[in-house]
Formats: sequence, C-alpha cells, structure tokens
Amino acid sequence: MKARLITAAEGSQRRNSALRISPLAARFVVLLLLCVGLATVSESFVTSGNALNILRQASLLFLLASGLTLVILTGGLDLSVGANVGLAACVAGVIIQSTGSVTLGVVAALACGTVVGLINATLVTVFRLPPFIATYGMLWALHGVTYAYMAGESIHGFPPAFRALGSGYLFGLPVPLLIAVAALLAGSYLTMRTTRGQEIYLMGSSPEVARLSGVPVGKRLFLVYTASGLMAGLAALVFLARLNSAEGDIGESLTLPAIAAVLLGGASLFGGVGTLLGTAVGAVILTLVLNGMNLLGINANWQPLVTGVVLLLAVVADVIGRRGDTQ
Amino acid sequence: MNAIKFGRAAVAIIAAALVPAICMADNERIAVFTKNQTNPFFQYVRLGADSAASQLNVKVQHYIPTKPDSIPEQLSQIEDVVVKRPDAVVFIPVDNKAMVPAVQKMNAAGIPVVNVTDRIQGGHIVSFVGADDYTLGLETGRYLLKSLGGKGQVVVIEGVKAALSSNNRLRGFRKALEEFPDVKVVASQPGNNQRLHALQVMENLLQSHQKIDGVFAVNDAMATGVIEALDGANRRALVVGINGTKEAIEAIKAGKLAATGDYASFLQGCFGVMAAVRELRKQPVPADITFPPAVIASDNLKAYDLVADQLKCPAWDSIVTK
Repeated sequence: MKARLITAAEGSQRRNSALRISPLAARFVVLLLLCVGLATVSESFVTSGNALNILRQASLLFLLASGLTLVILTGGLDLSVGANVGLAACVAGVIIQSTGSVTLGVVAALACGTVVGLINATLVTVFRLPPFIATYGMLWALHGVTYAYMAGESIHGFPPAFRALGSGYLFGLPVPLLIAVAALLAGSYLTMRTTRGQEIYLMGSSPEVARLSGVPVGKRLFLVYTASGLMAGLAALVFLARLNSAEGDIGESLTLPAIAAVLLGGASLFGGVGTLLGTAVGAVILTLVLNGMNLLGINANWQPLVTGVVLLLAVVADVIGRRGDTQ
Repeated sequence: MNAIKFGRAAVAIIAAALVPAICMADNERIAVFTKNQTNPFFQYVRLGADSAASQLNVKVQHYIPTKPDSIPEQLSQIEDVVVKRPDAVVFIPVDNKAMVPAVQKMNAAGIPVVNVTDRIQGGHIVSFVGADDYTLGLETGRYLLKSLGGKGQVVVIEGVKAALSSNNRLRGFRKALEEFPDVKVVASQPGNNQRLHALQVMENLLQSHQKIDGVFAVNDAMATGVIEALDGANRRALVVGINGTKEAIEAIKAGKLAATGDYASFLQGCFGVMAAVRELRKQPVPADITFPPAVIASDNLKAYDLVADQLKCPAWDSIVTK
C-alpha cells in the first residue's frame, strides 16, 4: 500500500470503511436470527448435511454475484450476468459434448464470459453508454445468440470428471463451495488490500475525486466489467456441472437474485459501499429463505410472499442498524 | 397401383417444372405461433408443423416472442399477422385469457384460427388441438403409484403457480392419489418449471425427509433436476415427469427416470397445421382433437425413441376418426 491516495480521497475512504464494517455485522445478525429461527422450527435444519447443502447452493449464487459486486462498487451495474451464464454454459456444453474435452469446454466458457465482459466494458467506457442500458442491451443480444445457437434444443450428460465441478466433494466439502471461497479470498484481497481495489471504491463514492486524483477510471472499469464476465463464465461451468445439462434459458432467472444478494450484502447501487464478504452473506440469506420454506413445507401459494417479506425485513434491519452506527 | 404411381410421378415432374408458378398460385400460407425459443417442447411443435407443411405443400411462417412467453410481444406479432393476412393461423397463446382479444382481432379479419396446446378462453376457433393435462397427470400419476406398489412416501414438484397446465396436471395426480390410500404425499413444493429451482428444492427436501420413495414432477425439466439432486445425495427414488421430451426419453433409457407423460409436441404441430389446411381446403375438421394420454416408460420406449429428422406426421385419420 505504498501508493496512497490524496487526503480528500482518504477521508472519504475512512468514512466508507467504517460504514462498510458495521453493516456487515448487522448482516451477520440477520443471518444468525434466520438460522436460530429455522433451527427452532425445523429439526432437520441443524444437520451438517443441510449446512453443506445450503452453502453449496449459496456458492452458485455467490460466484455470479461476486464479479457483479465489483461492478456495483464503481456505481455501475451488469444486467447481463444471467444471460452471460446462459451463453457460456451452452457454448461449453456443446464443446464438451462434441469434442469430449473438458479442458476445452472450461476454457471456452471462461473465454466466452470474459469476452462478453470486455464488450460491456467497451460499451461503458469507449462509447460512454450508461451501464444499465449497455448491459441490458447485452442481455438481449446474448439471449438472442444463445437461443439461435441452441435452436430450442437442450444438451445433457457430461463426463463425471466435469460434473465433479458441480456436485463433487473435496476434503469433505462441496467443490462449488471451495471455488466460491477461493473467489471470495481473491476478490477480498483485490478490493481491500490493493490500490486498484481502493480506486474502485473511490470511483463509486466520489467519482469526481477519483477522476481528479488521477485514478485511471477507464482501466478500472475494464477491470470490473471483465471480472464480472469472467465470474459469469466460471459460474456457468459450475451450474452446467451441477445441472448436468445446458439449455438456452439456463441463466435467465439468475440475474435479479444475484443483484439482490449484492444489495442484501450491504452494497449500494450508487457505488462505493459494500464488500465481497457482505455479498457472500447476502447469498446465504437468500438461499436460507428457499431452504427454510422447503423444510417447513410452506404452501407454494405463499412462497413468493414469504420471500418478499424476508428480503424487506433484512433490508429494514440493515437500515436501522446503519442509522444507529452513524449517530 | 402402377397407374397411380405413374400418375404421381408425372404430377411431380410437372410440378417441378412449374414450381415457381405453383408457389405463387397455390400454396396456402400458414402462420404458426409458439410461446418461446427455449423450451424444447415448442421446438418439436415447430418441427411437426414443418413436417405437415412439407407433406401438404403449404408454406409455414413461425412467430416466436424473443422474450419467452411475452404477452405484449405476441400481441404485436398478431397485429403484424392481421396486416400480412396469411390464409390461416395455428395459434399457441402465451396466455389463454390475455390472448382472447388477439383471437377476436383475427376473427374480425376473417383469418381462420386453429388453437393448439393451451385452450383459449374466448374468440372463435376452427378447432382445438392438444393433449389433456388432467388425464396426463392422472395416467402418469397412476403409473408412478402403481410402480411403488401402492404404498410409500411421495414428493410433488409443482410448476408455475397459476399456470393452467401445471394445475390441471396436479389435479390429475391428486385424483390418482385417491386410488392409492397407502401413499402419503410428504411434501408438495414449487419448482417453477425450472431445472435449477427443482434441483435445489429437491436438495432441500432430501434434508428434511429421510424416506422419499417417489417423485411426481409436473414437467420433465424439473424431473431431470430432481434426478440430479438424488444422484448428488446418493439416494434413490422413482421419478416421473410429463412432456415426453427427448431428454426424458434418454433418462428413461439410462434407467434414471421411471416414466414421462407424452404431451405429443410433434403431433400437436402436425395436426395444428393439418387442421388449418383441411379447413382451407373445405375438408371436415372436428372442433376438438385431443390426443389420448400415453405414458412413456421402458416397455414402450422404442416407439418414441426417434431422432428429429426421422419424425414424420402420421395420417390424419390415424388419430382423428370422426
């Protein structure tokens, strides 16, 4: 950390880091309350099997939300992550099935995700499109390409070595969880311990200061959108391996939950606030809601309502917690 | 026979010589509406429609919302069609109530409409062509409960709430349950017709229920999600789905899926176009063409295990007897 930012930036930075940590604690409290609540009403909740189950499901969501967190920290948005997962999964699926090579498929999915991220970055930095529009347009373009590519077909049945990526265990832990933890550590290091990371926060909290203090804004935007694309490619592989099949709409229902996980984790859509650890907690909270409803056997008619209420309660708890901190 | 063959050959040769002229003059144009590009079911409806079209020498144009199941998009596609005026429309509504005004618009324009898959709740149609969700749920459910020996614990994975076909399939399944009082439904949870959702719901249910003998999933995509969850947890249960997709047929072949109810996607496309053409050619068309419910399982798999380009529309009177 030798390259220190100028004092004004540092001031806003300090304030931010104070804000960043306490809401995180509030989030852990929400998480804990949910767990305690579920544990008292459902006896199957407190089993190691269920804990691993929840963590594996949350890992899938976190992988998608992790790259997105970086984008949101800059005050941007990537609406194309779900569609990106769809295309990357289909490309990888077709390649693995036609060539029999898992390596080629993995490379293809990561490359596909990254290229989409690069295009998003180009639209946002070079053409100066608002991120919402750029990535929303990208969402449609990707859906179009995926549907045309798959022509309404789905493919299924992948080699066991590949499927281990989604359903395998290593040291008694689910492989997706290990991948997610690795992503969490790498991402946290980038955001908290490097100049680049600090610059990303600054771009979100005070874009003017960032520009005036010489932060290479364009380069950093390229970094975050490309990272988001790459993580979508990685998430696509894990989804593909877990589902053992690829279809055109595989990522369609994932974008909003991923954004919700980031925001539940304490990030602000205006940028500058949030952490990857918070996003991970957000992903676990979202997953817990589904898990809890299934364990409790809540009637299907009521499930959307329950999901909505729990989400709102979590945010309310956070707002109250934050108010307490700043006063 | 030979005379007929010779006659056919002669016609073919003359036709080939006159193709451009005949195309302009004779070919009826049929607009075919399906719900989305993502569900393999509609892909097979379109293949059936294309197959019937080439047999009957008509031209088919497909209309598919770019956003899956989008009501506004299908509405605007109908407006296009009313302007372009095809000879007939084969119509799968994305919503069977919201699309009633669209059908009335086509009625007003004098375009005959054959309704396929989901029965429209108003407007005038030449005929309805489809499978019956209730009897499919009933027969597929019976198959599962019988295979379980009439006892055990069963999980139900529901489709999209408020979707007609999901609700009717569930109604059929509940009817089948009445015949097997020793079977207990231990959970009935929504999978929203999505593979991933069904997979995660099943993973969760496997945590809270130590004994699950059978699973009734409202569609095949969810059934395959359930199978992945069972495999991941190293558990075994008899799983059935509905739709008769290629994927389900392969899962039956692999011994993973017990059965799937045949939603007859290809036939729906075939008979939709055939009904429209018969109407245009002044041949009789019954108001209702419902395919008898069939359950595909390992014992009758051969008849269904065909690749897409081997599929051919059967003769009209092999199914329609009226």
